[in-house]
Amino acid sequence: MNTDLIVFAVLFGALAAVAMIRLVKGPTGADRMVAGDVADTLICCAMILFALYSGRGIYLDIAIIGAMLGIVDTMLVGRFLEKGRREKHADVAEDSQ
Amino acid sequence: MRKTKAPAVIATFVVCFLFWLLLTWSVKPQELIAGAVVSLAAALFSARFFIHEKAFWFANPAKLFTGLFYWVCVFPGELIKANLHMAKLVLGGCKNLKPGIVKIPSSLESDYGRAALANSITLTPGTITMEIVEEEGKPWYYVHWIEAESDGEEAGEAIKGRMEKWIRRFWEK
Amino acid sequence: MPMWLKILSDVLIACGAFFALVGVLGILRMPDTFCRMQASTCVSTLGVIGVALGGLLHAIFAMGSASTAVKIAVICLLILITNPVGSHAIAKGAYKAGIRPETPMETDDLGRDNE
Repeated sequence: MNTDLIVFAVLFGALAAVAMIRLVKGPTGADRMVAGDVADTLICCAMILFALYSGRGIYLDIAIIGAMLGIVDTMLVGRFLEKGRREKHADVAEDSQ
Repeated sequence: MRKTKAPAVIATFVVCFLFWLLLTWSVKPQELIAGAVVSLAAALFSARFFIHEKAFWFANPAKLFTGLFYWVCVFPGELIKANLHMAKLVLGGCKNLKPGIVKIPSSLESDYGRAALANSITLTPGTITMEIVEEEGKPWYYVHWIEAESDGEEAGEAIKGRMEKWIRRFWEK
Repeated sequence: MPMWLKILSDVLIACGAFFALVGVLGILRMPDTFCRMQASTCVSTLGVIGVALGGLLHAIFAMGSASTAVKIAVICLLILITNPVGSHAIAKGAYKAGIRPETPMETDDLGRDNE
């Protein structure tokens, strides 16, 4: 009866899979992280819709934790790009470019 | 290291306890007591990292109403406008872009106000705040703008729009 | 659940799906790193808001479950609060790490002031 919800949930999952193309291809680390962040947000949306479709609240709890932890890895990579690369990994960065 | 202040602890405790209530979703006494103990411990240890200025600055009905009006009516309008513009750019093939980083002035004074303006600028698609520096007692925002057509004051007017006026009403004294 | 509410909820979710599509297309097609970040903001603003509003209508009027509605609102608020902090950190980190677009930017005040 709620066919529309599961259709939209699958659509959001497919969009997350498309965003993965940039995660595989992306020339720099920042590109990959942005694509990963977008995939995380899209999976949260798909989980909201699937929880409404199946009527089970447990998926919403998982989506809350996903939304909370999404910020942590983004901040981690941002900090690493900003500081870690210059001090510790300067030689590695120069080699790879 | 900063000192832990009582209002900051109370504010953090309330937020933690509300989150506990949300995740457990029950009002049995043992759950409430366990949640209160855990929230109080978390608030005692972490309050000094979260709240540096006055904790209950918004306890004023007129101010609360202004803030609610900003986040419910003014800001979504700007958001929808910017989103439609971005949709036009992307579906038109990403042509005629002029990306650039512009430096715009602002006149907000409190930390909360500055952070709120930076977040509002970042949340509108097409502009991202990259850094805030303070020169001559005023904050300057370095903003990456996807269509950098102007510079300085003019760019500030185009990017901030009506947002700064409302943020000043809510967050400044 | 009345028919018009069902249709309204579907239209809101479809709007969210449209803006999510725009954001993902932007990530794939934009020319350089910073422009891709700009496009990704579309997903986490109107994409999430559309899905959350449609889901709220469905949770209140079709399921009648208060906990579901509150949890959906909290997810939407969490994403809206945390996303700008993340993109701010990534943009600053990428610029400091020396990532630049292939065609140089015409106005680059941050590069000018750091010299």
